[in-house]
This record gives sequence, structure tokens and C-alpha cells, in this order.
Amino acid sequence: MENQIDNRWMTEIREVNLSYLMLAQGMVRADKAQAVFCLGVSEAVADILADLSPAQLIKIASGNMMMCRFRFDDEMVWSLLSEHGKRSSQGLDGNASRLHASIVMAGNFAEAV
Amino acid sequence: MAARSLLDENRQIKRAIELINLGARLQVLESETDLPYERLLRLYKEVAGRSPSKGQLPFSTDWFMTWQPNIHSSLFLNIYEYLQKSTDIESIDAISKGWRLYRDEVSVHGVEPLLSITRAWRLVRFVDSGMLCLTRCKKCGGRFVTHTFELDQQFTCGLCEPPARAGKALRGGSIH
Repeated sequence: MENQIDNRWMTEIREVNLSYLMLAQGMVRADKAQAVFCLGVSEAVADILADLSPAQLIKIASGNMMMCRFRFDDEMVWSLLSEHGKRSSQGLDGNASRLHASIVMAGNFAEAV
Repeated sequence: MAARSLLDENRQIKRAIELINLGARLQVLESETDLPYERLLRLYKEVAGRSPSKGQLPFSTDWFMTWQPNIHSSLFLNIYEYLQKSTDIESIDAISKGWRLYRDEVSVHGVEPLLSITRAWRLVRFVDSGMLCLTRCKKCGGRFVTHTFELDQQFTCGLCEPPARAGKALRGGSIH
């Protein structure tokens, strides 16, 4: 029983991997600059992604390790993101903290340079 | 006039159309393409379906310092610099792509894009000429548009410490 559950997780990881790789490849092929920003990958990785054949994509996706991971390890970003949607003192849905997070995230080149 | 490459001209017209569609003023097109004024004017009328607005462009750096515009400008400039540093595209293409990404990002959060493409272009020019730059906030680590001579050790951004009346406007599409 336990093994079956484990297998299900692994199958789901492979499926997410494949969707992620297909999405990333499609985006890079359509507009590389935009994809580099949205995906947070380097231009070199983007070039490799664009050239992968479908067979290669499936092969790469079929491991037990996730191909994509959290883009930010920064606690500041996560606290700003999770504040979003909380009601402010005026009873409004504040969007300032979400934009604050966007600015901090867009200024983060760690993965891109 | 020197003989112009047809391919190059085609590329420039495409770029001009893109900018007109994003709402750029004629002055931006004049500065960013080598196309003659008459052709740009015709192109503008054909694409936008109206004559371009007349009058000078806003020329002051002060607008970028007020609370709401500063948030918009900082978001755009961070995206622009990200594109410039991570890919080899020309500045004007990074402006139009960066502006689209900025517009989509704020729209998702229900905020109207306060920074027009013309202002965004102006902002990049101010940065190129050393009048404005991005300064790191000592609290959140985010980078915000400031005048170049801001004491960057002590800088705190307008989102970490909003001014007293900031965000009280109940107008739709604003930051609160």
C-alpha cells in the first residue's frame, strides 16, 4: 500500500516535469527574452531548452526528481507574498504588498546572471 | 539620403508599429528609429487611426519620485534591467517587452498601469544619463528608482515605510 502511494507521487512528479518542460520550451521558442524573465532561467539554458526534441523532453522528465523548484529562497519575498489578500486596517484588499513582492522578485538576478 | 537596406527598414517599421500599438508618443519613434518624420507621421495615423498628440514630453524627474509612480517605475525598471542583463536584446526592445511584462503584472493585481510606455522610455533615458538610478532598500532589499545621489546606506523604500497619506485613495485601479 505504501509503495503504491510513493509511486503515485513519482508519477505526478514526472507529469509535472513534462508539462513544465513543454511550457518552458514553448515560451522560449515564442519569445526568448520574455521567457527568460518569466521562467527565471539563464539565456544559455533557454537556448538548450529550445533545441530539445520531444523524445529528449520525455526522457528528461522521466526521473523522480523535480525539474523546477522554488525560484526564491528569500524569506522577505515569501512573507510579502503571503500577506497578499489579507485585509488592511481600512478593510481594503491591499495590493501594495503583492506589488512590493513583484519588485523584490524582479530585482533578483541570482538565477539569471 | 544614403541607400537604406530594405530589411533594416522593414525591421524599423515593425518596431515603430509595436511602439505605436503600446501607445508611444511620436517623439519616442523619432528617437528610436531612423525613419523620416513624414513616414512616421503617416505610419502613426494608419496604425493608431488618429493624429499623434502634440506638445512636449514630460521632462521632469520629480514625477518618478512620488509614491504611486515610484512603485510603478521601480517595477518596470527592475524588469527592464533583468531583460538587459540576462539576454542580448537592444535597449528599445527591452523597453517594449519590459513594459508589456510590467503592464500585465500590475493588471493581474487590479492596478492600472500608471507608467505609460513614453514615461518608461523617458525613465530609461534618465537612468542612461545618470540622473536616476535604482537604489537598494536597506529593509526589504528591493531596488527602487531614486535620484543618483541618494545616500544608499540609509535608503528605505516607500513600501517599507509608506508616507502618511499613501494608499488612502479609494479610486479604482490604484495601489492601496
